[in-house]
Amino acid sequence: MSRKTIFRFLLVGLILVFVISGTAVAAKYPKKPITMIIPFGAGGSHDLNARVFTSIIPQYLGQAVVVKLMPGAGGQTGTAAAVRAKPDGYTLIFTHNYVDQLQPLIEELPYDTMKALVTVWRLNYAPPIVFVRVDRPWKTLEEMLDYGRKNPGKLQFAHSGKWGATFTPGAMMLSKAGVNAQFIPYKGGGPAVAAILAGDADFHLGFPSVVLPHAKAGKVRLLAVAGDKRLKEIPDIRSFKELGFEGGNMDRIIMAPRKMKEDNIKILRDAFRKLYDDKTFKNLMGKIGENMLYMDGPDYEKLRARQKEQYRELVKKITGK
Amino acid sequence: MWDSFLEGAQLCLRLDTFGMVSLGLILGILVGALPGFTTVMAMAILLPISFFLHPLVGIPFLIGVYKGGIFGGSISAILVSIPGTGAAVATTFDGPALTKKGQGRKALEIALYSSVFGDFSSDILTLFFIGPIAIIALKVGPPELAAIVLLSLIIISTTSSGSAVKGLIMCFIGLLFSMVGQDPLGYMSRFTFGIFAVKAGIPLLPMLIGVFAIPEILGAIEREVPSFISEKVDLSKAGEKLRYEEFRRCFRTILRSTGIGAALGACPGVGQVVAAFVGYASAKKASKHPETFGKGELEGVAAAEAANNAVNGPTLVPLLTLGIPGDNVTAILLGAFIAQGLRPGPRLLTEHGPTVFALLVAMLLANILFLILGYVAVPIFARIVTIRKSILLPVITIFAFAGSYVFRSDPFDLKVLVFFGALGYAARKLQFDVSPMVMAFILGPILEYSFGQTVNLAGGNLLHYIFIDRPFATGIFMLIPVVSVLFALRAVRKRRKARSQNSPMKGGEG
Repeated sequence: MSRKTIFRFLLVGLILVFVISGTAVAAKYPKKPITMIIPFGAGGSHDLNARVFTSIIPQYLGQAVVVKLMPGAGGQTGTAAAVRAKPDGYTLIFTHNYVDQLQPLIEELPYDTMKALVTVWRLNYAPPIVFVRVDRPWKTLEEMLDYGRKNPGKLQFAHSGKWGATFTPGAMMLSKAGVNAQFIPYKGGGPAVAAILAGDADFHLGFPSVVLPHAKAGKVRLLAVAGDKRLKEIPDIRSFKELGFEGGNMDRIIMAPRKMKEDNIKILRDAFRKLYDDKTFKNLMGKIGENMLYMDGPDYEKLRARQKEQYRELVKKITGK
Repeated sequence: MWDSFLEGAQLCLRLDTFGMVSLGLILGILVGALPGFTTVMAMAILLPISFFLHPLVGIPFLIGVYKGGIFGGSISAILVSIPGTGAAVATTFDGPALTKKGQGRKALEIALYSSVFGDFSSDILTLFFIGPIAIIALKVGPPELAAIVLLSLIIISTTSSGSAVKGLIMCFIGLLFSMVGQDPLGYMSRFTFGIFAVKAGIPLLPMLIGVFAIPEILGAIEREVPSFISEKVDLSKAGEKLRYEEFRRCFRTILRSTGIGAALGACPGVGQVVAAFVGYASAKKASKHPETFGKGELEGVAAAEAANNAVNGPTLVPLLTLGIPGDNVTAILLGAFIAQGLRPGPRLLTEHGPTVFALLVAMLLANILFLILGYVAVPIFARIVTIRKSILLPVITIFAFAGSYVFRSDPFDLKVLVFFGALGYAARKLQFDVSPMVMAFILGPILEYSFGQTVNLAGGNLLHYIFIDRPFATGIFMLIPVVSVLFALRAVRKRRKARSQNSPMKGGEG
């Protein structure tokens, strides 16, 4: 390839860039593509959910939504970037309740999510399920917790990372039941599920999409569903609320800077509301096995404040701070 | 099972499957060759496309991106010393040296053939031994992983070149760097000195580009000699093709590395990087001329590339049989599977047997297409180094910086790049080899994590737990002294041989 042809290619590329960016001049927000930070790695459930909704929402927003993965420090790297960004509405974050409401309670962070960010939308939530391998002797959650109470430090809890989405509901349950268990950390939910299947650890809290196939295959026994409601796929398994425990869902939430214009947040919320009537969206969410139990921003703000207090108590109990 | 295999094989003989696999391979090679763009990023971006395609078109398309991406990563590693991923690090030990000798095309070709061979054989192994591999995968828990990584570290470290003391120093520096940030078990910050940006640890990619590419660029400028290739384009030499004898010479190495890669691939959590290192180290160990390794040895490139590709087949097994992705790439494939209504897990093979076999056969086809496309692409890429140095060096510099930034769009990573560039340059001047540091940086955290988990699982009685409850781990731990003694004996024998050969002339030097 001669140098002349290379320059020609560059020139064509430049012109294309100008043409494409030129068409993006519109009257009101959003005038240009929106960046959606995901503070987790590629291939996780947030990534998957985001790939679905960002491929459809441009129809209702009039602009592309570009996913930007910023993993690191259990979500803190991406969250810090979202808080630092200009509050012009062109940088949003797609995160979950433990990063948003719990992490700032554990350690000193250069940001306060409650002050800096406001909820645009809760996309959906995932309730983790308490389960054990079938060769374990416990038929119910109470039996397992009884064993744990009688044998301090013997019951092994495989979790997917400290203060994360499976650790926190498990820790809340154990602390309320007064069980002193052994916490075994795994890198994410997958290896933790594998540890249960291999019999390395006693119990784990896994999400339905991963756990249900193993239950159907008769490899694991389900003991309880975190959260208030039973799951329609497994109507016999009691919920945390029925058993006297609290919380436990992972809320997948889209947050914006609190300083962003109120009108623009409304534009975003309206676009998300329309999304839930979209056939392709429904179809794809069903295919990836996620529910569509959304929550509007203002409603989630109330839940958010409540959960914050719950977590504050839990952290006080566990760390003694 | 044979029936579903035959049925599956017929299912994937479709023109659109071939077309999309080829497209995926091309995209993968292009993205992989660009520093900073990882295969995982490319797959995540292209994932939604697969939602709208037939399962036997969409998923092979992503597999194509994956396979192409790994080879693309070795292109930049060989030609300009920028490893696109951790898996290509071992390729930078010999690749750039070959390029400097004007054998860039040969290096690329041996990389291609070894990659395809490693991939192809591991896919066939996976196809026939999916059951046994699934059992091994479940048997490998934290104690076994710790034992495997420890054994790998010993194999790798006993083969490093140059002064042993210098190697150890670099190894310790690497371990120290790997500890910066939150500890993997309790998430407590350590060695961060209150700097928030390093809380997530030192990012791997900017570090790799820093220690490998920057010294190369600075060295080329400094010496004012044609470092990448002679100033006046000598196309005939840069384009010299791999000869059959050269491939024959590498074949034993390729076979060995394929075996190592496939075995390590069956153990979840080990991964391509370790496989490439161990494959390289074993090739050097087995070679009659280990001194040529690191100075432009075709076998070195073959060893690393065959090993890291052979990992691919077996890593799919936990995904298919348990629904548990072993790494980011398989996690994205999981997304593609689920979106197609194929839920990987214990019942996938019984419910969708033909489709699963069709996918595995499609992987084999992808390898053949990969060979053809790679063969076409290699001469084009090989000519990159024939660009005049005054243009090429600034372009590489731009790519080094852009690649570090684009990885996670954090300006802090540029500082990391400059810091490790300076460190790599200083190390080169003082004749320290940076590769032990990089190996320790990558392997250290895996060892720390799996050992920490083991201690937790043991619940206070570590020896009893490992030696009574985990016979598999015990077996691997037992191998460590055996391997060490074997290596030591071999080294002594070699030295004695060298001495007896030298003594008549030089009088016992050595």
